Amino acid sequence: MSGSMSFLLNLLVNGIVVGALYSLIALGFVLIYKASGVLNLAQGEMVLLGAYIGLTLTTGLKVPFLLGLVLAIGVSALVGMGIERVVLRPFIGEPPISIIMVTMGLSLLLRALMHFIWGTELRSFQGLFSNNPIVLGPVRLSEVFLWSFAAAIFLLIALTLFFKYSLLGIAMRATADDEQAALSMGISVKRVLGATWAVAAMVASVGGIFLGNIAGVNPLLTSYGLKVLPVAILGGLDSVPGAIVGGFVIGILENLAGGYLDTYWPGIKEVAPFIVLVIILLIKPYGLYGKEIIERV
Amino acid sequence: MNLRYPFTMECGQYRTTYEQDLAFHPSRLSTVRGWVIVAALFIVPLALSNYYVSILNQVSIFVIAAMGLNILTGLTGQISVGHGAFTGVGAFTAGYLMKLGWSYWLAMPAAGLVAAAVGGLFGLPSARLKGLYLAIASMAAQQILEFLFVRAEWFTGGVHSMTVLRPKLFGHSLDSDYGFYVLVLSVAVVLGVFAQNLTRTRWGRALVAVRDRDLAAEVMGVDLWKTKVMAFALSAFYAGIAGALWAPFVMIINPEQFNFSLSIELLAMIIIGGLGSVTGTVYGVIFMTILPILVRSVTQPLAVLVPAIGDKLLLLKDIAFGGAIVLFLVFESDGLAKLWRNIKDYFRLWPFSY
Amino acid sequence: MKAMVKWIAVLMFVVLLAGCGSSKPTSPAPGAAPATAPAAPKAPIKVGGIFDLTGGTGDVGKPHSEGVRAYVAYINSKGGVDGAKIDLQWVDYAYQTPKAVEAYNKLTKQDGVSAVMGWGTGDTEAMKELIAKDKIPYISGSYSEQLINPATTPYNFIVAPTYSQASRVMLDYAKSKKADAKVALVYNDSGFGKSPLEDAKAYAKKIGLTWTGEVVVPLTASDAVTQVLELQKMGADYVLIQETTNATAVTLKSAKQQGAKIQFMGLAYSVDENLIKAAGDAAEGFIGIPAFAFPYETGAGIKEAVDFAASKGIKLEDLNQKWIQGWAFGRIMSEALKRAGDKPTGEAIRKAFESFKDYDLGGLGSPLTFTATDHGGAKKARIYQVKSGKWQPITEYLAPKQ
Repeated sequence: MSGSMSFLLNLLVNGIVVGALYSLIALGFVLIYKASGVLNLAQGEMVLLGAYIGLTLTTGLKVPFLLGLVLAIGVSALVGMGIERVVLRPFIGEPPISIIMVTMGLSLLLRALMHFIWGTELRSFQGLFSNNPIVLGPVRLSEVFLWSFAAAIFLLIALTLFFKYSLLGIAMRATADDEQAALSMGISVKRVLGATWAVAAMVASVGGIFLGNIAGVNPLLTSYGLKVLPVAILGGLDSVPGAIVGGFVIGILENLAGGYLDTYWPGIKEVAPFIVLVIILLIKPYGLYGKEIIERV
Repeated sequence: MNLRYPFTMECGQYRTTYEQDLAFHPSRLSTVRGWVIVAALFIVPLALSNYYVSILNQVSIFVIAAMGLNILTGLTGQISVGHGAFTGVGAFTAGYLMKLGWSYWLAMPAAGLVAAAVGGLFGLPSARLKGLYLAIASMAAQQILEFLFVRAEWFTGGVHSMTVLRPKLFGHSLDSDYGFYVLVLSVAVVLGVFAQNLTRTRWGRALVAVRDRDLAAEVMGVDLWKTKVMAFALSAFYAGIAGALWAPFVMIINPEQFNFSLSIELLAMIIIGGLGSVTGTVYGVIFMTILPILVRSVTQPLAVLVPAIGDKLLLLKDIAFGGAIVLFLVFESDGLAKLWRNIKDYFRLWPFSY
Repeated sequence: MKAMVKWIAVLMFVVLLAGCGSSKPTSPAPGAAPATAPAAPKAPIKVGGIFDLTGGTGDVGKPHSEGVRAYVAYINSKGGVDGAKIDLQWVDYAYQTPKAVEAYNKLTKQDGVSAVMGWGTGDTEAMKELIAKDKIPYISGSYSEQLINPATTPYNFIVAPTYSQASRVMLDYAKSKKADAKVALVYNDSGFGKSPLEDAKAYAKKIGLTWTGEVVVPLTASDAVTQVLELQKMGADYVLIQETTNATAVTLKSAKQQGAKIQFMGLAYSVDENLIKAAGDAAEGFIGIPAFAFPYETGAGIKEAVDFAASKGIKLEDLNQKWIQGWAFGRIMSEALKRAGDKPTGEAIRKAFESFKDYDLGGLGSPLTFTATDHGGAKKARIYQVKSGKWQPITEYLAPKQ
């Protein structure tokens, strides 16, 4: 295989692997938006919070990694529910500006709080994954990326099944579809919203723990909140499959832009998703799979 | 004239014509009060130390940018998370034009116009987008502009900063903090009066109509798209002017000064001050500028006294910042402007508050 | 309930206004305080600090600020500078330039400090005109070569090897290992990241190395696979890294993942203990030039620092390289104040700095020499390498060969 082919292949594989993590975090945005119309700008902070909880459990309390992961997911779910109850409940039905700003205020609060508890120094999960690569033909993958990819895919499948078959999942979909109708069918919308935030916090924590294993844990992780926004928008803010497709598209796009355009425009890798975002929004204002709200005069 | 209570201007509103309802000043006393306040703003800082004057400079510049954002977000209901970058466009344009040899007095308005053009450009998606989607498009604008600030070195000087010297007025350099303050305040007052007047015009009412119900506004004959894009342009013009003032204030500009957190801070200022209110904007900016300074002056001595928690107390300013936003949204979503009106009403209506 | 909350808010606002009003009369006239008390006990010398404890660079900014404060406590416990205590007034600016400008104005105009210890590249650059105008000697954690020329920045002093200087030493090292080495730079899109780019490029060409290009790794990156692939495509074998800990760790890990045969060479903020924790065995063999020494090294200056920390109950393993950097800042500033004599005005301190000639830091860092035409104090730099999970010096203090 020629050098340029294996270059391309490596870029694509890396894009897919990173994209899976993007999908996972973007799913948090989508779930909350779908169920309650809230764009949660504190999603990045929930990623970091999940990472810190996981770190405290595995490195601090010496819980084995898998058990720690499960526990961290559980704790994060509780925290997500708590946030919904205390901060977001009063804002059901408020205008978008209030909602944007309240989640922004929430993100600042959470960041300060985490800073208070864990400080700002770079912390890392110790020696869980080897730095030695896994070599598959011309493609070289790191162990932690492979595992995070597996975990992301597992969760994406599990969540899809959950929405399709479980009672709570169906209730969540119903609420997202029509709150009034859901209420009249005896669904407790408040409970559903709490559950939504719990699930969003869970996926954020998984994302956070794996990202923490990749790059170490410090407040920079919160930047993933903004980073995956283009993913959520691209797929459509209210579409679960959209978030999954969007994650892979943005992951690959980023890597291709970085691989081929960086020589001409250094740093384009970071901005490329946003440029594509603007173009997509102009062509399809509700993203690839988002529900189109048609208004006519 | 009302002499019974020194704190009150009037005991009620009695208007018989539309013209009275639309008047800039509801009574002659309020005209006088307006002039007194403006005069005081010019004169009182003469007695303040340079540090306080420099804070006033900072506040006035932020007031201009925030007033612009308030026209867009408060009046027109379109959220922009890109105003930090629009401010940067103004600052870099002013710097670039001055490097080309333009006089500052031409470069400043030109910077405003360029920012307005850029703002209008990024307002174009509002033809098809609204609500959260539009907010995110403006966030993309912020990211893309930040990238350009760093990359377009011929224009911005890139990361190595651009020096912008203080302008001269009739041969006097505005080097001193007070001298510069006179300039900044004059601009702020002119733009403030313009913004206040805006709501009294046909076009200003169109903005409010778009905010309240866009479809209804369109039925009434308001051209939605044109109105929104114009709102974007006008509000970016304010941001651009603020940027053009910020540049000679700090004398060095670089891309890091116009980042995402500036956009967020501007939004927080108008939320806390009061959406759609010019005076509220001023309160909001003052509140958000003073808050961290105040928290700092309380926590730093405390941190020395209680070394056990020490530096962690510094986080109180972040907690106060985030907390202020959340608390205002929960308890008084119309911001400080409404709070102040309530206080005035309390005194005006006292003792018969019903 | 709602009414009560409103009243509390009103009350807070009144308190706030009162707070502003009352602090005003206490503000001294700028620059007047230190100069007027010749008799013993001397008036304290006011020095400003602009630190980042809670912002984007808090991970390294916090230990740095602790080091500065520790040194000030230390010198004051020994009676201060020639009998005058140092009064350190500092502000946490959270790595936001507008806040730094406000902090600078507070320190110089309200507190009347005669010199300032600052932090980031962006904000140090943003204030250089103000610094020159106000004549405030300014040392900062930004070791940018753009700040060493007194003709343009007469009051900025650089107390460690500049990023450019360090890259020259590194390129010499690369040349000594491989005469036809192909070199490149990993950086980020900030004033800090781009600072050494042009100088390193020029020097590499000058000493006959091939400059293959430069790649951007953002400070918030979680992988640098595309960048490493690009470096491999360019054929680079010695690559400079101008990043912070996080991005450096990510780059090293991605390079290991791709099996890249590249010797990475870190500058200043790429080099610290946390890097080894974050990158694990991917850091092994990485070489770098830290701005100052590590606390476990030997030297009278380091021992002084470690002993003082121990007397305050801080163990050696809780200290790190950035803490030492802060301590060294305090020490250098105190030395300048001592040389400035009884009237430490801005001009006097500038003159004092310019009298430094091979000022020995007792192992804390490179000896310092400032002149009226050159404010880049450190002419030499020392290369360290990660060996079995620990940074160890592998050379003496070296000056660039050309």
